[in-house]
Amino acid sequence: MAKIGVFVCHCGENIASMVDTGRLASTISDHPGVAVASEYKYFCSDPGQETVKKAIRENGLTGVVVAACSPRMHEQTFRKACAEAGLNPYMLELANIREQCSWVHTDKEQATEKAIEITRSLVEKVKRNNDLKPISVPVTRRAMVIGGGVAGIQAAIDIASAGREVVLVEREPSIGGHMAQLSETFPTLDCSQCILTPRMVEAIQHPNITVMTYSEVEEVDGYIGNFTVKIRQKARYVNMETCTGCGDCIQKCPVKKIPSDFECGLGNRTAIYTPFAQAVPNVPVIDRDRCTYFKNGKCKICQKTCQINSIDFEQQDRIETIEVGAIVVATGFQIQNTAMYGEYGYGRYKDVITGLHFERLASASGPTAGKIRRPSDGKEPEKIVFIQCAGSRDAAKGVKYCSKICCMYTAKHAMLYAHKVHHGETQIFYMDIRAAGKGYDEFTRRAIEEDEAGYVRGRVSKVFEENGKLIVRGVDTLLGRPVEVVADMVVLATAMVPQPDAKDFAKRIGIGYDEYGFYNEAHLKLRPVETATAGIYLCGACQSPKDIPDSVAQASAAAAKVLGLFSKEQLEREPVIASVSDSTCAGCWGCVTACPYNAIDRRDITDRNGNVIKRVASVNPGLCQGCGTCVTFCRSNSIDLAGFTEKQIFAEVMAL
Amino acid sequence: MGLQEQYRKEAAELLSSGEVKLVIGYGEGTTADRRRPVFVRSAELVSRLVLDASGVANLSAYLVPEGLLSDGKKVAVFLKPDGVRSINILAAEAQLDPGQVVILGFDIEGGQPTPLPGRKASDYAPLIESLKGSGLSPELQAEADRLEQMGAAERFEYWKEQFSKCIKCYACRQVCPMCYCRRCIVDVNQPQWINTSSHTLGNFEWNIIRAFHLAGRCVACGGCDRSCPVNIPLRLINHRMAKEALDTFGHYAGESADQKPVLATFRQDDPETFIL
Repeated sequence: MAKIGVFVCHCGENIASMVDTGRLASTISDHPGVAVASEYKYFCSDPGQETVKKAIRENGLTGVVVAACSPRMHEQTFRKACAEAGLNPYMLELANIREQCSWVHTDKEQATEKAIEITRSLVEKVKRNNDLKPISVPVTRRAMVIGGGVAGIQAAIDIASAGREVVLVEREPSIGGHMAQLSETFPTLDCSQCILTPRMVEAIQHPNITVMTYSEVEEVDGYIGNFTVKIRQKARYVNMETCTGCGDCIQKCPVKKIPSDFECGLGNRTAIYTPFAQAVPNVPVIDRDRCTYFKNGKCKICQKTCQINSIDFEQQDRIETIEVGAIVVATGFQIQNTAMYGEYGYGRYKDVITGLHFERLASASGPTAGKIRRPSDGKEPEKIVFIQCAGSRDAAKGVKYCSKICCMYTAKHAMLYAHKVHHGETQIFYMDIRAAGKGYDEFTRRAIEEDEAGYVRGRVSKVFEENGKLIVRGVDTLLGRPVEVVADMVVLATAMVPQPDAKDFAKRIGIGYDEYGFYNEAHLKLRPVETATAGIYLCGACQSPKDIPDSVAQASAAAAKVLGLFSKEQLEREPVIASVSDSTCAGCWGCVTACPYNAIDRRDITDRNGNVIKRVASVNPGLCQGCGTCVTFCRSNSIDLAGFTEKQIFAEVMAL
Repeated sequence: MGLQEQYRKEAAELLSSGEVKLVIGYGEGTTADRRRPVFVRSAELVSRLVLDASGVANLSAYLVPEGLLSDGKKVAVFLKPDGVRSINILAAEAQLDPGQVVILGFDIEGGQPTPLPGRKASDYAPLIESLKGSGLSPELQAEADRLEQMGAAERFEYWKEQFSKCIKCYACRQVCPMCYCRRCIVDVNQPQWINTSSHTLGNFEWNIIRAFHLAGRCVACGGCDRSCPVNIPLRLINHRMAKEALDTFGHYAGESADQKPVLATFRQDDPETFIL
């Protein structure tokens, strides 16, 4: 005979303000099988949990329903409480009357009715729950970090310094990411290279870190603690082991006029190149599409120049398969191509540039050695107009979100310009200044008060060229009148957007993403560095636009999560796994194909003489993740999922 | 010599040489224009085989009963192109080995059976490719178009009326080559997802589940339509599902013996139009 305890939580006002919890408790107490029903302000609190435990012990409950929040929130909490009171933790169900009821309704009467229905349906389910035991699986205590920008580097160093192996995968020839391109960094104005390059060197020299540059993750199989990753190491045509990075080959390469991506096209590179002088590893790659030898079959000057014979034109892409227990995704961002604003003339006028171009101009290692020179004629600009939100916060043409860093870097640009060109003037068109962060507002104030950055509140409607000058037409909304500024250069604060292949990559490794392609965290507030896929973590701007401090903080947080996972040799897994009924399985193998975890195999059933009578599908409990895809696929209804059996679900539905 | 004579002769040769253990074909029915399946196991009996324009049933369904092919011996069967597609699907779903099936292929053109030369399912690949996306008969197409024009509510009323006629005889299931499960979902009663009594709700449940189970698998042989004693135009539902599979995922049921099931596979470029 079932003895079910129902515990209705107020969640402060969250539930109680929209659901009549008293009525819910009294109605459900009359439901067959319900032994006790009570309500309380916070069942997740210590006294709340004690109430549940006491009720289990005193009434000999066989099942518990907590009518409260989403199971994602507190299922573990109450499972633990049940276990402490001697009840199998899988005899607990959470009836979600918060996210799926009180939060989304406005009519208390109807919301209460719905809460009763939800709770009753879970009572019917829990009556059919079975005692389950968690499954133990081994953990491969090696992590992979995808993306070698500042976030990825930080995560890798943190994990490695705690004594675990890390494979850091970067698709560019060097680690460093966007931060390596920056000049000085807000709000302290330390030189980006000066703080980043030591970290890059630390990463590559760390005994626990294997850095794989010019490599891309092709495939991720497996599950938390046990991932198998295929990585394509693209052919560099330079022997990594022997190359000393002397740079002779780069000096002698005859193809010199290739616009450099690293310099945002403001400088050139050769066909055999390192993206920048401080590249890590300091081993060049040959750009196959631009190399004279690969195009015409003649040249090989680099090979002749190299004194230690490190050039290898025969090198092929290599696929490496590695086993890891956790994955940190730190794939970063791109800046939006601002060509969609025809009125700003980006792409048409050479002196209309993006913030990243400006970083290269201001960088001591940049194409102008840190002197601010306009791209068209190399002259020093006397007046620069900055346009903020050139893409961000523009639902019509750009992206809806705020890119978060532009207010700060624009202030920084104005400051750097003032420091480098003392008589220079700036005008910054802005919507509002968002400077929330440690030392951030002080920084923008400093730009305005000490470095005389000229802020104009308003939007720009048009930029056009006249007599070698850029005419910027806009509006000053504080004065309520149109303005026209004659400038030598215009800098657009372009939006941060996901990598162009972000969605494809998410599908390849099995994580979720939002409408833009930024990767989804498991819970924005409580699980910000985990993805919904166990064992895969996030950090940096692949999750949302972020500045360096936030990226690094998140990277260390992700590393802490990985180390937590690696703190045990075995991992306890939920026993929610599928099983196949041998007698009814038709052997169509649809489930084998459908299973995203390759957890289903074919199994022979033999008679006592060893003759095969039948072949049926068979679930490997170590691999099964309990997603239920096979259950829904099976036409003969031969697969069932522990914890969510057909009988349980049916009872749940029929109780509505 | 007509095709019937030619295939009787070929069947006799196949049987007497021991190449096949059984020939499945059409035989005399209860009326002049009806055919029923005949199972010929000796060369002397090939005269029972009849092949004319009334040979419309998809005989591939008779290959799947448990044990028929488990001895590894071959069986010859009269098949139209739709039947060959069924063989491909059954092979893809591991229900038979296409190497065990000798096809006596034909099609019906201008009221006459015409021969198709392929004896193996794989011989039909170019023909099947050319049939890809071919539609219904003009009358059925007109009815399908009429349904497409309707609003959702009106269309629901249409099917409600059609399904209200269903008597749950399961003739559609019995005749269908794709319904080879040893235990059909409708026979599961713990829990009983599908109401067995023939009222509209239960009828809806049954017919919608069957339509889903045939998505990406139906070859439009029309067996369910013909066997339905209350004339529910079941082919229209299955045709609509087939169209969806083709338009959305480029899946044409039964193209080859190693085709993956459309509802069990995922490609990165699959359209996600259904995700709101």
